[in-house]
Amino acid sequence: MKLAAGIDIGSTTAKCVILKDSQVVASSLNPVGVNIVRDAEEALRKALAEASIDRSEVGFVTGTGYGRYKISFGQLTVTEISCHARGAHLLFPGTRLVIDIGGQDTKAIRVSERGEVVDFAMNDKCAAGTGRFLDVCAGALGFDVAEIGPLSLQARHPVKVSSTCTVFAESEVTSHVSRGKDPKDILAGLHTSIANRSLSLLQRVGIEPEVTFTGGVSRNEGMVRSLSARLGLPVNVSPLSQYMGAIGAALMGEERLKGGAAQ
Amino acid sequence: MTDTLASTPPASSGAHGSGGESPGFLKDAREEQRRMVEEYYSGLAQAEKEKRPVAYMLVGGNLTEIVRSFGYEVVFPEIVALNCAIKHKSLEYILQAEAQGYGLDVCGYVKNDLGLQSLGGDTPFGHIPKPDLLVCSFSGCYVYIKWWEALAETLGAPLFNFDVPYQRTDAPQKEDIDYMVAQLWEFVHLLEKKTGRAFDMAELKRVLARSRRAEEAWVKYLEAGKYRPSPIEAYFEAVFYMFPINVLRGTEEAVRFYDTVNQEVEVRRKEGNYPVPEEKVRLVVEGVPPYTNYRTFWDFFRKWGAVSVAATYPKVGGLFDRGFLHDPARPFESIAEYSLGAYVNQSWPIRRELIKKYVKDYQADAVLIHGIKSCRSFTAGQGDLRDWLIHETGTPTLYLESDHQDPRYFAPAQIKNRMDAFFESLEQRRSTAASSPVVAR
Repeated sequence: MKLAAGIDIGSTTAKCVILKDSQVVASSLNPVGVNIVRDAEEALRKALAEASIDRSEVGFVTGTGYGRYKISFGQLTVTEISCHARGAHLLFPGTRLVIDIGGQDTKAIRVSERGEVVDFAMNDKCAAGTGRFLDVCAGALGFDVAEIGPLSLQARHPVKVSSTCTVFAESEVTSHVSRGKDPKDILAGLHTSIANRSLSLLQRVGIEPEVTFTGGVSRNEGMVRSLSARLGLPVNVSPLSQYMGAIGAALMGEERLKGGAAQ
Repeated sequence: MTDTLASTPPASSGAHGSGGESPGFLKDAREEQRRMVEEYYSGLAQAEKEKRPVAYMLVGGNLTEIVRSFGYEVVFPEIVALNCAIKHKSLEYILQAEAQGYGLDVCGYVKNDLGLQSLGGDTPFGHIPKPDLLVCSFSGCYVYIKWWEALAETLGAPLFNFDVPYQRTDAPQKEDIDYMVAQLWEFVHLLEKKTGRAFDMAELKRVLARSRRAEEAWVKYLEAGKYRPSPIEAYFEAVFYMFPINVLRGTEEAVRFYDTVNQEVEVRRKEGNYPVPEEKVRLVVEGVPPYTNYRTFWDFFRKWGAVSVAATYPKVGGLFDRGFLHDPARPFESIAEYSLGAYVNQSWPIRRELIKKYVKDYQADAVLIHGIKSCRSFTAGQGDLRDWLIHETGTPTLYLESDHQDPRYFAPAQIKNRMDAFFESLEQRRSTAASSPVVAR
């Protein structure tokens, strides 16, 4: 059977995954610019190059994420909500609840034992509590976003940070800095603030173990710890968590291939 | 990209209150409605020229039969506002009201009307005359009372404010009916005094008999949604056909209109010409539509083969399908019952049970709730309704939010993404034979 590719065009990054027999054999990650078609093509090209796979070996391409309609060379589009559910279920079959924190969206998705979406809730009209929130606050403290998770874990006296607005949080961070607060304590407060906001979404769909954390922010160790502490539950994460949408997309393509929809 | 999880291509959109081909609508009824709307608005302008009295009234539980029997032309500012929104003019009037100091969170209907008034009352569909009388016929919304008070102050028209008791029981209580009837008599005496005309009960009874015939025909249309496939679109299409039942009730024209509608629905059934060619999802829809993006929103449904088989919003004028019909044998009592029975005047337990009943009676697969930022009386509680439907009844339910009047609150990408995910999940669960329903917790 031919391979299946999943391409997830999010607000910040383009992710591509190649599946063979439901196993990830290649992946890629690119920043997203204004030319989504080119970004999607580049994501696929990079993933194929990584595993020395010829394009002709790919029999089905599924697009997901906000930019999915621009993936003109694919055969199927599916929302990232369905894809994260399927991807999380593939990697962690006991998953009943997915929390996906991406660049501008946070999604709580309750899934069935077969990985189908049962219910979902998303942040509305506001990017507070998303990856963008962390980006802005990391910048205000002079850190790269990759540094802030581990630093937050070194906090001794976490400060309280409100989570009402990304823009206002930046000025709140500046205010804490000017009062001499330790940046690590501020970072811990920021992570707790996002965890609190996520908890509200998770409660809307119903908290049920196992919980799987997906999206770019799942790479942040501090965030994993904050979320787990707030939930009072362990949280599944994988090195592939950021690719979960692309994995789910590829999985749906693979099912189509099995059903005879080969190209 | 050639496919989404839904394989039905979007049908071309039906227009709502504007020109263009519209396969989604009944042809004769649509033409008839277009004529009636045009005549209504030109009649309003004519009334102003001829100095005939004009009353402003709210849609919910309205008293159009009584007011018309005294020779008033009736303006429904909510309907004027939604027509402005459909014509993409509402933001201009809303911004005008905001420039006067009305805040972002004030209802879009209110700001549309106050902005329009301050700009002179000219709309793309006609001139709206100033009122000689303001009848606040629904008191369930505090903002509405303030709106009418603002109109009374700025336009200098007298205000009659009906106190309509909020309903907590399935049937209106005798005390509430008596209280309403007493107010109706007070209202009639005011109208006699203002117009110098004697109240004619016999004429009111004749008008109410016509109202009832139109109401029965309207209910027949709405209940056609029980057929599988549904020969009607009980939200987008029914909203379009609400105009006569709210504005022209009591006229032979309204009766004829709904007879035409039902005849065309019958033809649709015989010919198998359904509003959604391949019905895949049957929905009950709750909430006010986003009039500023009516076609766009409708297309999000069509793409998935989703048809509304029942909806609550077409009943904002009156819950006729719950039996609140005007009765010439009990004129004031039945008017009182009708006003008390307006949809938004019902407590949440009544509303949610009604929606649950619609899901069962109309064999719906899911419920879609569209909340609007403007209206707390309609929208507050819809989040709990969503949770109740999912967890207590096992009905898949989606909650979306935008606004009915203010285009700044309609985010198409977000709304579409949520709808696509919701319909995907319905389709996926359906495709696995042993799918588990939403677990009651």
